[in-house]
Amino acid sequence: MKYFLYWGCSLEGTGANFLVSLKPVCEALGMEFEEIEDWNCCGASVSYAGANDLAIKVLNARNLAIAEGAAGHDIVAPCSSCYVQMIKVNHEIQEDPELLRQVNECLAEGGLSYGGGIKVRHIQDVLYNDVGVDKIKARVTKPLNGLKVAGYVGCQSVRPFGEYDSVNKPVVQDRLLEALGAEAVPFPRKIRCCGSGIFLPEIDYCMGLVKDILEDALNHGAQLISTVCPMCAMNLEMYQGRINEAYGTEFDLPVVYLSQLMAVAFGMDLKKDAALNYNVIPPEGILKAAVG
Amino acid sequence: MENMVNYDPSFAEEVFRDVDAGDEIKMCMNCGVCAGSCPLREHMDYPPRQIFGLIRAGKREEVLSSKAIMLCTSCYTCVVKCPRNIPVMDVMHGLAHYALKQGYVPRKDTASFGKEFWKQVYRLGRIDEKDLPRRVFFSGGLVEGIKAMLNFMDIGLRLMLHHRMKLLPERKIKGVKSLQKMLDKAEGLGKGGAAA
Repeated sequence: MKYFLYWGCSLEGTGANFLVSLKPVCEALGMEFEEIEDWNCCGASVSYAGANDLAIKVLNARNLAIAEGAAGHDIVAPCSSCYVQMIKVNHEIQEDPELLRQVNECLAEGGLSYGGGIKVRHIQDVLYNDVGVDKIKARVTKPLNGLKVAGYVGCQSVRPFGEYDSVNKPVVQDRLLEALGAEAVPFPRKIRCCGSGIFLPEIDYCMGLVKDILEDALNHGAQLISTVCPMCAMNLEMYQGRINEAYGTEFDLPVVYLSQLMAVAFGMDLKKDAALNYNVIPPEGILKAAVG
Repeated sequence: MENMVNYDPSFAEEVFRDVDAGDEIKMCMNCGVCAGSCPLREHMDYPPRQIFGLIRAGKREEVLSSKAIMLCTSCYTCVVKCPRNIPVMDVMHGLAHYALKQGYVPRKDTASFGKEFWKQVYRLGRIDEKDLPRRVFFSGGLVEGIKAMLNFMDIGLRLMLHHRMKLLPERKIKGVKSLQKMLDKAEGLGKGGAAA
């Protein structure tokens, strides 16, 4: 199982615990990753302030073209923003020959061209459909023993196309959590937005969104939240102190990446592989108690 | 003719022609599902449904200066819920882009965040997560910049202590020059309107 792993800018910084934990976990499951040579940023959610739509499409098409010109494996994006930007552009290009022509006219300025032959996939898709729940279960040596986890899907990892999961009632993350031995608590706000890329500039408006999500997770008995998106992780974890000040709440709920939980359940090193020391709200206590 | 409401179609035509995804609103039946599903609707002056109505009614000023067009979190909820398959999010992004080009600033902080974001993508080919907030904070002047820096210092420090802040500055990708040529071409070839 060879893939291009397009991890994007955040996973080298604020989302580093995602990338650090993802690599050993995927290796243990027999996945092989290559990097897209000299990849660029996907433009994320706010580039429209400076660029027109075609420029944002061309930005993503450059990565697609490089991948197609190399080995042509599927591209796997763990960051949901990278995923949605790239899959959206890819679909639009594949469906509209005139757009493909325009994009190629731009790519030609840098000596590239894209034929539309690459598949873009989210990490949850690959874990669920290529690796499969059975193989993941078989690799678990330290099951999470009914740890109550709120699987926060967020928005961009399943929308807009619903390629591998429902856009309204997603289940894939819950099935993966259950494979690790956790109890995926029902959690209606699992697909409500956290503010994503505009949390920082619109913090006064977006804190309320995160407050509602945290509250919902706790009300459904969650001991921690899992996520697959560096914006979700950042917004849900780093601003709990601010939210407590603003709303008089007492949130202190760990937020970890799904891949960190996998590393723990695979019996890997809690620091080197699961990167639990990267989390600001420490999840070690809860996880150690769960795995026994 | 006395009882006729005078709708001015010129702004709608402008939107269809010059705004990215602007022509998609022709399909809108004003059901309001986009507004009902939007996470930030309560903070909007006009939710998307009303923005589309205002476009049809020719209210250029109201639309291009509305904060709603820049309050999109890009969650795609409206896109997956719209019964007429309108990519509402794309229309809002297109309108915000067009408004900024025309000299309007629908949301000050999000506008400077987005502009700095794109400048960095263009300059480096990647995003430098330390450098970006710094540039955004100081885009409103020195005093405001220092205030904002101090305000968010705790978050930055915690990230740094937990290995979640790259310490070295982000380097340019190797192909940045050729990337810029591609993006310049796209800027000329695409929609989005010329600067006012």
